[in-house]
This record gives sequence, C-alpha cells and structure tokens, in this order.
Amino acid sequence: MGRIAAAYNWFDERTAIRSLIRKGLYEAVPVRGAWFYTLGSATLVLILLQLITGIFLTLLYVPSVTEAWASLHYLSQHDAFGSIVRGIHLWSAYILLFVIGLHMVRTFFSGSYKRPRELNWVTGVGLFVLVLAMAITGAFLPWDQAAYWTAVVVTNIAVYTPFIGSFLRALWRGADTVGPTTLSRTFGIHVWLIPAILFPLIGAHLALLRKHGEFGSYVNYRGAYRSREGVDVPPAPKQRPIEPPYPAVPTDELWAAPLETEDFYPHQTFKDGVVSAALVILVFILAVAIGAPLEAIADPATTSYTPVPEWFFLPLDELLLLVPQQLIPLVLVLPTGGVLLLLALPFIDRDPERNPFERPAVMVPGAFAVLFVVILTLLGSGRLFNL
Amino acid sequence: MSELIALVGPALHMLAAELPSQAPQGHNRIAAQAAIGSLFSLHILIAGLVSGAGELGPAIEFLGFVRQRRRYDRLAHGLGRFVTLYFSFSSAIAILLITLLPLFIEAWTFVLQVSLAYIWYYTWEPLRAFKGLHMAIGGLLAIASFLQVYMIDIIASYMLTPTNPQNPLRLALNPTSYPLTVHRTVGNLAYIGFAFGAFCAIRFLRARNPEDKAFYDWAGSFGLLWGVAMTLLQPIVGYSYAKEIQLHSYGSWYKMMFGTLSPVFLWQITLLGIMFITATLYFGRRLRTDGARGSGLLRAMSVGLVLTTLLAAMPYHLGFTYADVAAAGLDRPFWEGGLINPLGSMIPWKVLALMFYTLIAIAAVVWYLRGLPGVVWGGARRGEQRILMLMAVLTMLMIVTMGFIRENSRGPFLISGQMTIEGQQNTQNPQPTPTP
Repeated sequence: MGRIAAAYNWFDERTAIRSLIRKGLYEAVPVRGAWFYTLGSATLVLILLQLITGIFLTLLYVPSVTEAWASLHYLSQHDAFGSIVRGIHLWSAYILLFVIGLHMVRTFFSGSYKRPRELNWVTGVGLFVLVLAMAITGAFLPWDQAAYWTAVVVTNIAVYTPFIGSFLRALWRGADTVGPTTLSRTFGIHVWLIPAILFPLIGAHLALLRKHGEFGSYVNYRGAYRSREGVDVPPAPKQRPIEPPYPAVPTDELWAAPLETEDFYPHQTFKDGVVSAALVILVFILAVAIGAPLEAIADPATTSYTPVPEWFFLPLDELLLLVPQQLIPLVLVLPTGGVLLLLALPFIDRDPERNPFERPAVMVPGAFAVLFVVILTLLGSGRLFNL
Repeated sequence: MSELIALVGPALHMLAAELPSQAPQGHNRIAAQAAIGSLFSLHILIAGLVSGAGELGPAIEFLGFVRQRRRYDRLAHGLGRFVTLYFSFSSAIAILLITLLPLFIEAWTFVLQVSLAYIWYYTWEPLRAFKGLHMAIGGLLAIASFLQVYMIDIIASYMLTPTNPQNPLRLALNPTSYPLTVHRTVGNLAYIGFAFGAFCAIRFLRARNPEDKAFYDWAGSFGLLWGVAMTLLQPIVGYSYAKEIQLHSYGSWYKMMFGTLSPVFLWQITLLGIMFITATLYFGRRLRTDGARGSGLLRAMSVGLVLTTLLAAMPYHLGFTYADVAAAGLDRPFWEGGLINPLGSMIPWKVLALMFYTLIAIAAVVWYLRGLPGVVWGGARRGEQRILMLMAVLTMLMIVTMGFIRENSRGPFLISGQMTIEGQQNTQNPQPTPTP
C-alpha cells in the first residue's frame, strides 16, 4: 500500500470520506432527459463562479460614493486580470439568470414540482428570487450613471408596496434620496444578507434533490439502485428507503420508476461537466472580448443622461411603458403576485398527472406567461436600440 | 391561339404604353386608391396565409412526432400540400423578381422559402425513416418564412417610421420593424389556424366516412384553438406596436387614436371582442354536443367577453377630427367638466378591456382543453362548423381593417414625413400638435 493510499485510509477512518463520495457519486439517475438535468448543475457552477469572483472583487472595491467608481475605474484601466475578473462576475451573473430561468421552465413543464418534490420547487423559487435580488443589488455597486439611475428607479418601486411603501424606500435609501447610505446598505445586502440566505437554501435544495432523486417528464424516480457493476438491486432500507410510488396509483407503473437508469457518475457528471464547461468558457470569452462596462461617474444633477434598464428588467420596463399611469401599481403587483403563485403552484396543482399535454390548466397559463415575458423582452430590446 | 392573342394583345399593348405623367386626380384618384387598396388587401390575405402555413406546418409535424399521433402528421402534410400548390403558381413571381432585381434581398428570401417548401413536402415519404432530418428541413422552412415576413416588414415599417437609410442595421431595426414583425408573425400563425379550421369545417360537412369526419372535426377544433391561442398574444403585441408609433410617428398615431381613423380603430377593437366571443361559443357548443364537462362555465365566460366588448366599444367621440370633439366640449372626462363618456377613452378603460379579453380567453382555452377528453371526434353538429367558417371571415376582416388603418395612418405621405404619395419631398408638416 502506497503512502497516499495509507493517508487516504487514515483520513477515511476519521471522516468516512469514502462512503460519502460513494453516496454522492453512485446513484441511479434516469437516462431519459439527462441533458435537461444539466441546467441545475450549471446553475450551481455559475453561482460558485459568482462567489469566487465576488471575493476577488471585494479585495479592491470600496463601497463609498467617492471611492466605488474610482476603485472599479482603476481596476479596468490598470489591472488586466482584475478587469477580466469583473467581466467574469458580470457575464456569469447574466448567464446565471438565463440558466436558472431555463431550469425553472424545465421543472415547470415536466411537472417535477409535484409530490413529493414540493419543497424542492419552493426552495428553487426562493433561489431564483435571491439570484434576481443579487443581480439587482449588484447593479447599484459600480456607482456610475447607469448604477445611480438604476438605484433611483428600483428603490422608488418599493414605494408602491401597500401601506409600508414609503417606509421601505426610506429604509433602503437611508435618506430621502439615493446617496452614500443607499450604497453601503446595498453592498451589505449584496455580499452578506443575500448570500447568508442563498447558500443554506442551495444546501437544502441539493439535499432534497438527493432524497427524492431526479425526474424526467414521463418517469418518476422510486429509488431503484444500480451498482457500479450494472446490476439492478433495490437500495438497502437504511440507506435509501423505497418511497411509495408517486402518484400513489398502484396501476400506473410508468410514474413509479424510471424506464431506464444509469449511474450519476460518470454518465450524468460527464454531461454536467460538458454543459458547465461550455458555459464557463463562454463567460470567459465574453469577459475578455466585451468586459464589464463602466460609464461616467454618477451625477445626480445631469439632465442629459437617458437611463437604460438592465436586460432582465426589460419585460417589466416594457410593461411599465405600455400601461397607463393609473395601472402602474397593478403592474408592480404582477411580479410579487407571480412569485407567490409560483410558490403556491405545487399545492394548487395536486393532480398526479405529469404529461404536459394532459394538464392544460397549468400549462396554458404558464406557457402564456413565458411567451409574454419573451415577447416583452424582445420588444423592449428593439425599443432600446432606437433610443 | 389567334383568339387568345386577340384577347391578350390589347392588354399587353396597354401595359406597354407610357404611364401618365400626372398622378390620378378627382374620381380617378378614388378609383385608383380603391384598386390599390383591394389588391393590397388581397395580397396580405394570401401572403399571410402562406407565411403562416410555412411556419405552422413544421410546428404541427413536430407536435405529432412528440405526441406520436398520426393525425398531426396528416394535418401538417395537408398544410405542406397547400403551400406547394400555391407556390406552383407564385414561384414564377420569385423567379421574375430575382431575374429583374438580382440585388433585391427580399426576392432571394422568397426563393429560399419556395425551395424549402418543395423540399419539405416532396421528401415527406422518402424521409419517413429519418423524421429528425425531415423536421429539420421543416424548421428551416419556418425560419425562411419568418425571414420573408421580416424582409417585407423592413420596407413597410420604414415607410411609417423612417430612419437613416444609409445605415443598413438602423434600416432593418427601425423603431417599428420589430413590433410589426412580431405582430404579423403571430397574426399569420393565428390566421392560418382559423383558415384551416374553416376549410376543415367544409370538409367535415362533405365527408362521408367516419374516419374523415373524425379527422376534420378534430382538425377544425385544433385550428380554432391554435388561432385563439395566437390571437391572445396580439393585444399586448399590437399595443406595443401602437406605442412605438406614438413615440416615433406621432402624427400617424394621432390620426389613428383621435383623428379620422379612430372610428375604424374602434371597430377593430370591437371586432377583436367579437372574435373571442365567437370562439368561446364554439368551445361551449362543442363540449355540450358530447356532454363533456365545462360548457356551462364557457357560456358564463362568453357573457364576460360580451361585457368586455361593450367596454372596449364605447366610442371616445364620433367626430372625425379632434377639433370637432374639442369644439363640442367632449375632450375631457365628465369629472373635469367635460361631456365625454369616460368609458370611451383608450386609457385606462380600453387597456383594461384588452387585459380582460386576454385573461378571459386564456381561461376559455384552459376550460375547453380540460373538457376535450370527454369529446368524441366526428360527432360535431353543423352549427359548430358554421362558427368555424365565421371565424375565418372575421379574421380576414380583422386583417383588412388593420392593413387599412396602418396604410392610411401615414397619409398623405408615402414615407412618413419625408415623401408624399405624389413623390414630393416633405411638403407638409407631418406632426400635428394636439393636446389629447
């Protein structure tokens, strides 16, 4: 036995690392729809990329209205590596929003949120909202013109909250207008508050995923286990109790277990790796080729600047442009109502049917909601081009 | 042959004669406008149908593949046959266009569309074992059909909201090219659904064997459902298009909303309501015929749509110019001392009506789909088939109305604010300064 193996055994004896790895890697996953499942791992990889590049950026960034812009300007002008890191931070955030959105759409259409995976879905919606909050608060931090006017618009949206709107705006801004306190509070929210909720929620999401297994649109996962040698064996009761077939209709075997399974490692990990690597490469290319823009330093007195929303705000921005003044509060209720509806979805749609063609009550409104968002984004981007 | 030459000869001679140096005047001008308007309407009615079929056919084939249902394949094949039959005549125009104008990109997208349509249709059987490849060809046809619409929209939208013609990107992405293309693409997809719904209704009435009856019953219902689903997107897309016109061609927008075209616009929003009501009536009737669940609720929804249509159809004013309205003291709501009916204003009442249309119609689609498992295809009654045919007529009316509004909104300009129909450069101020 070599020294490395001996050290590994010593470590395993104290930490049970071998069984942890085995438990983590060797689990049966459905063959069908495997490429769709890569969206979840890609989301995780992009969040980790955010974390790492964010840590690097905090080493230089100063969250004050007099220093924030200057620190990032220094980064972009005098630090080639730092400039790329900032580019990676920005582009991975953009792609993360896109990928987590796709992941949610996939879960919605395949009916994966149904019993017993209701809490997977709820934590997933929470993660989506937090990632969006990270993107919004992150947009304030450069303290250039775009950041300043984003801060003005976004903090002003809070005022439409019934009864406590003015209080919320004052709390976030720290004053009547956007200023130094707004920046330091937003920085605190961006690097401490949101991650403090985000990472435990990721842990809960992954734990629930492993408990219930992955799921394809026409199959469910019951916990059948395939060993490394390819022999199908039922799981040991202590390791993985067999769940009752979901939906609990004994005759419907199709829903009870995947038609075909394969090991998580190396099959699914390979696919996850391919997609995640492709996205990381794409992020790197965009960070080097385009980088992260930095406009002129924030000037609240300017009258010539035309604020342009971030792309993920385009649907809401377009809707705000379209609806009359009287209906603006109604539009601002839409995102909140939408999130609440998403959270309630698995508890409203309790029908065990998972085939998207057989559950129109959920699919039709859902498909229209997605189409509206896509169309509003397209129309909004077209309008910005002609500003 | 000699008779044919005798018949065609004078016509060719007339075509070869020199054009009059002056634009038509007086009654001649009205006749010319009527002729151009009719031809234009006919053109968009046929072009919309073909573009829609080129996009919807491949989508239905894909749907059939996913769902493993033969009837989807049959329907997609039928749409393919329609497109190729149509192109067997009109592809000559494409060849003529690229011969005469080899640099006219729009003509080349037309050639691409025609070629792919033929390949897609005639490889149906040979590529049956390679369905993925065949669907990929269909996907290319759908993209070519979309490009064809986009190309012509660049020209149409430029005439309403012109930009710097020296910059090709600005030209292609002028302020209304994007909304117009989305509006037209969604509209074409809805139109082909309603059109083949009506076609299937006729075939259903003439069908004798149960298999055909079941197929045409199902296909008619599918066409209507598809048409309604696409039309549901139109209020928001169309509203966005109108908003861009307001921002970039205020004179045209003013004419549509407050000027001479506002009664036509009112008719358009009413027509939209009538379409939704008619479709909901079909849904309810079709479910009731087979005793499927949901028909009662659909009837209630159609009442909701009638009320919404009444809200939408309230006239803002019946004068033909804004000055008439202002002179009558009808230019402000009653709570500000005006005499106008507040429900008649576009904002917020007609906007609310558009929202209600969308929400109720989504609910109607959901309820119809929920009731469909209780329907036995082939058992529809004549009344349902009449509704399907009526829907196609209403859609055609809608298309012609919209074309009329859009083309007349920029008058007297050919290119808004830059060139009049007589070819004069910027002779009038295109931007009135109303205080709506």
